[in-house]
Amino acid sequence: MSKRYEIRFSGAGGQGLILAGVIMAEAASIYEGLQAVQSQSYGPEARGGSSKSEVIISDGPIDYPKATIVDALLALTQEAADKYSVDLKEGGVLLIDSELVTKQPKGNFKVVSFPITSTAKNEVGREIVTNIVALGAMVALTGMITRENAEKAVLARVPEAFLELNKKAFNIGYEKALAAQA
Amino acid sequence: MSQRLFVKGNEAVAMAAIEAGCRYYFGYPITPQSDIPEYLSRELPKLNGEFIQAESEVGAINMLLGASATGVRAMTSSSSPGISLKQEGISYMAGSELPGVIVNISRSGPGLGGIDASQADYWQSVKGGGHGGYHIIVLAPASVQEMYDLTMLAFDLADIYRTPVMVLADSVVGQMKEALVPNPRPETTLPEKDWVVRGRKEGTEQKIVKSLFLGDGELEAHNWKLHGKYDVMREKECRQELFMTEDAQLIVTAFGSVARIAKTAILTAREAGMKVGLLRPITLFPFPTQAYRDVTGQCKKILDIELNNGQMVEDVRLSVARDAEVHFYGRPPGAGSLPVPEELFEQIKKYY
Repeated sequence: MSKRYEIRFSGAGGQGLILAGVIMAEAASIYEGLQAVQSQSYGPEARGGSSKSEVIISDGPIDYPKATIVDALLALTQEAADKYSVDLKEGGVLLIDSELVTKQPKGNFKVVSFPITSTAKNEVGREIVTNIVALGAMVALTGMITRENAEKAVLARVPEAFLELNKKAFNIGYEKALAAQA
Repeated sequence: MSQRLFVKGNEAVAMAAIEAGCRYYFGYPITPQSDIPEYLSRELPKLNGEFIQAESEVGAINMLLGASATGVRAMTSSSSPGISLKQEGISYMAGSELPGVIVNISRSGPGLGGIDASQADYWQSVKGGGHGGYHIIVLAPASVQEMYDLTMLAFDLADIYRTPVMVLADSVVGQMKEALVPNPRPETTLPEKDWVVRGRKEGTEQKIVKSLFLGDGELEAHNWKLHGKYDVMREKECRQELFMTEDAQLIVTAFGSVARIAKTAILTAREAGMKVGLLRPITLFPFPTQAYRDVTGQCKKILDIELNNGQMVEDVRLSVARDAEVHFYGRPPGAGSLPVPEELFEQIKKYY
């Protein structure tokens, strides 16, 4: 059977997590030549503050389109970290914002943490690119897509005036995750 | 070849409609299909088309009827409760032999129900949801690519048979994003629309589009004519996917989103050395009866899986070989109740 990799981006509405998931999936599907499916909560489920975006990546057809045993999880709120870390598979990876998720969930998975939102705000210069910093970090931690292809997917999605900002956000996220992991 | 895109199933429907030459859309918002009107409200005006958010679903279906009577390609979309409201208009369109595409990204019921993925509109879709004993063609996509391809096909079938055609899917396929190759509209020979009403010049023949037949014997003849068309559809338009059925000792049958989940379960079964296959009807009307008869010549066990309490299973039972056994596993919708592959694998083991 083909190899299946499941990624979940979770946090609060407004953090840009849906877009981060979409870009990850586009990078895999369009630039990396893999198969990908992206889905998200919608309707009443999507209201009330929490947000979740799921990406399945595989080298073969993806029939079941939802996440079941998550390989990699991004959690940008404590609530999301608590709620979704239980679905992480053994040996999986959890990326958290160290300032927003103060209580680290425990389990048989690797936790990588750095101040994602502060990095966007202070080092990139705009808090709005938090999702792209997080995406860069997730690309580094999951190793499913090359850095180049992921960057292409980011740049294909953002308006011309913000290319440099997003490029910077993506690369800082990528580097910070590698450093935090080490 | 067209460029590979990454889009939502609902967007693929809207893109296919535009590529098929549809320039008129009438609808009313409802979850989980609102991406369709959202896309078309943005794109149709650029193409000199018309997007109308109707005052209600009833208004929208009657606008579709009116537009279709003038010969243009037109569409409406909704979700289950909204589709119920459209049934009167669909019956009138069927009676008036008007083409038109109706998309149902169904949700759970009865009544207001919920917004979860559901296949509980099978009966309503294939048995004539409105009054008067008619059928419409019903297509059941299982992927974003099929959302596009089957919507495109829906417009052609509607014109060929002068009938409403429904695309029936759910939020799983409508809301997820996956790869799409937006193929250009294929060359098809379509019958001339010599019946359309567009205003009449003096001396030319009067055209009337109607479903009212009061003359002695007229309505009976009309009904036999309609049912003659349904027989032609049954003969020529059945479509299905067969997956690993050749050596199968158990064949799972499911349509739309559930067929995807079943496929994963079937691959798990194959890894365990169990010979299991899938028969996925793509046309729900006409129902691919012959395919069921064919596979049950060799394989005597069928497991029907649906996101409801058992609807298509009735048509499966009528279609299989007489000595075949048909089992059913149903999951009527509820929050988060989409079955997982492991669950379906358990059912496969139970009946294998």
